[in-house]
Amino acid sequence: MSLTIDPGEVVALLGPSGSGKSTLLRALAGLVPHFHGGRFSGRVEVAGRDTRRVRPAELAGTVGTLFQDPEDQVVFTRVEAEVAFGLENVGTPPAEIAPRASAALAAVGAEGLGERRVAELSGGQLQRVCLASVLALEPRLLLLDEPTSQLDPEGAAAAIELARSSGAAVVVSEQRPERVLDSCDRVLFVDEGKIVFDASQEDALSRLPEAWLPREHEVPAAEPSGEAVCRVQDVWFGYDHPVLEGVDLALGRGEIVALLGPNGSGKTTLGKLAAGLLEPQGGHVERVGRACYLSQDPGRYLVSERADEEVAVAVGGDLARARAALARVGLEGFAARHPRDLSSGERERLALAAVLVAEPDLLVLDEPTRGVDPARKQELTGLLRAEAARRATLVITNDHTFAAAVADRVVSTVPEREAVLA
Amino acid sequence: MRPTAAAALLGGLAAAALLAQRTASVAAIAGLLLAVCLRAPAGRRRLYLVGAIGSGLAVVLLTPFVETIGSHPLWSGPTVPVLGRLDVTSEELRNGLFQGLRLTAVALAFSAYALLLDHDRLVQAAGFARRSVLAIALATRLVPTLERDAAGLVEALRGRGVEVTGLRGRARLLSPLLAGSLERALNLAEAMEARGFGLPGATQALRPGWCPFDRAALVVAAGLIVIGALWL
Repeated sequence: MSLTIDPGEVVALLGPSGSGKSTLLRALAGLVPHFHGGRFSGRVEVAGRDTRRVRPAELAGTVGTLFQDPEDQVVFTRVEAEVAFGLENVGTPPAEIAPRASAALAAVGAEGLGERRVAELSGGQLQRVCLASVLALEPRLLLLDEPTSQLDPEGAAAAIELARSSGAAVVVSEQRPERVLDSCDRVLFVDEGKIVFDASQEDALSRLPEAWLPREHEVPAAEPSGEAVCRVQDVWFGYDHPVLEGVDLALGRGEIVALLGPNGSGKTTLGKLAAGLLEPQGGHVERVGRACYLSQDPGRYLVSERADEEVAVAVGGDLARARAALARVGLEGFAARHPRDLSSGERERLALAAVLVAEPDLLVLDEPTRGVDPARKQELTGLLRAEAARRATLVITNDHTFAAAVADRVVSTVPEREAVLA
Repeated sequence: MRPTAAAALLGGLAAAALLAQRTASVAAIAGLLLAVCLRAPAGRRRLYLVGAIGSGLAVVLLTPFVETIGSHPLWSGPTVPVLGRLDVTSEELRNGLFQGLRLTAVALAFSAYALLLDHDRLVQAAGFARRSVLAIALATRLVPTLERDAAGLVEALRGRGVEVTGLRGRARLLSPLLAGSLERALNLAEAMEARGFGLPGATQALRPGWCPFDRAALVVAAGLIVIGALWL
């Protein structure tokens, strides 16, 4: 693989799961080979420095890296300390640390979070804090590995624009190309460790595979239909503060409903209430049959040593059914693999198999397209639509493209937003 | 109060509990530390309190059977291999209570440190051995992190219609919890490396100076150690 990135250039790094995008980003940061080992030949030069001869830590002020999973990047318990961490490490003068940290938080729209505990933040808020931690270093090269996976569309657009306006050269790896194609100068499409094409933004649109092209969708306005499988009536729920107040939701057999809303608006909470994982503090929830819930963190599904055993947990250890479920999600041949050896997209599909195998009457999917490339997303859309008649399906998502493709109707935790997609 | 001063106070109380010779003194220290721990949110403190009090209770119950002291038997039992003749004397009970309270006091001091102190500011206050202090702070947060991970695993299993019940059911989560922790540790180490951790010449954000209250806390902490050794 050979490429050159110019100062201030914004490069969209696209490609299927497992194609080498994250490895390329790590090579640019020097983490390959120093941290991850492996066989490395050739040369990577960043700001005139050969990454083979300097430690990744020595590149920290020059290269800023934002990894896929924000929860795995957090060192401190409070936001302000987290953002200041990188600045302290690179020897920033003490008097400048707090102002630069505050400015970075303000830039990402998280200025009110400085005193908050990291554990209290939503996924989207945490992702903003991690982005602030990287931007505070004012790097010359910004490497973003799926930086918008937990952000709503407005937040995603703001994050990409923020990266662009930082003045750094930016390489952003994304599985949701519509979020980055408008803002990039250049597109790098990789597959199986090779560059398939390296083109300008305009040329890339004619070269991207069909599944990767941004598209307009319309979801017809529809009323709830089918036999009522789940009815949420006047439900109230809160943690330290109210999250849902007097919410109604009806889900019918045969329909797929997309639940949209900004970060922190209660989508996951509503999904858990519908699936029976939470009990409402006011109002009531009626449900027919079995409900299954797919968490937005596929790492939580890894309790077994083999993929087929993992899936079989929900069906009393029936491996034949588990293997059939794996095949339905495109993981045939993965039965004997250890779940932790799978890529993030493969883990997402494993998790989907783990809930589909139970043939539930109500299926709640929380951000099922996180880390999933567009081709696999189309397959997921096809799978859900093919099985829609068997159950009621609630899809909680920030991925409006996916929502438009898969859903019969859209509901939102912020009602005026329902009109946006329709 | 600065976290450093608070940590010194907790350390002083734990040291006093270890140095004290009277059961009543140790019980008073444990009671004080329990009251401190009860200031933490109920949801977070439960695991720590169960651990601290449970381990002390275990010492109280087991000590009479593994020690052989005293001449006032309250109960005589059979002879078993290795342990010999089982009996319980009043001296063994008193010693078991003393040691159990001591262990509980030290465990409660750690619990208060883990639950109530701002570990970020503790790390920032470390003028030397910062990397070691950070490692300790990260290790301290391991318990609530594991607790959250366990809750997430249980929720994910419930989401598939599988209830996790009983000791055996929960024991099944130990292996994936450990594997998940190792994976998280690796990812965290990578992120820390990428953010320049370990570079020489690291600086620290400006922080407020020591106030008289903080200095007094240090003096009290030292005094607790002396008092524990000499009078308790």
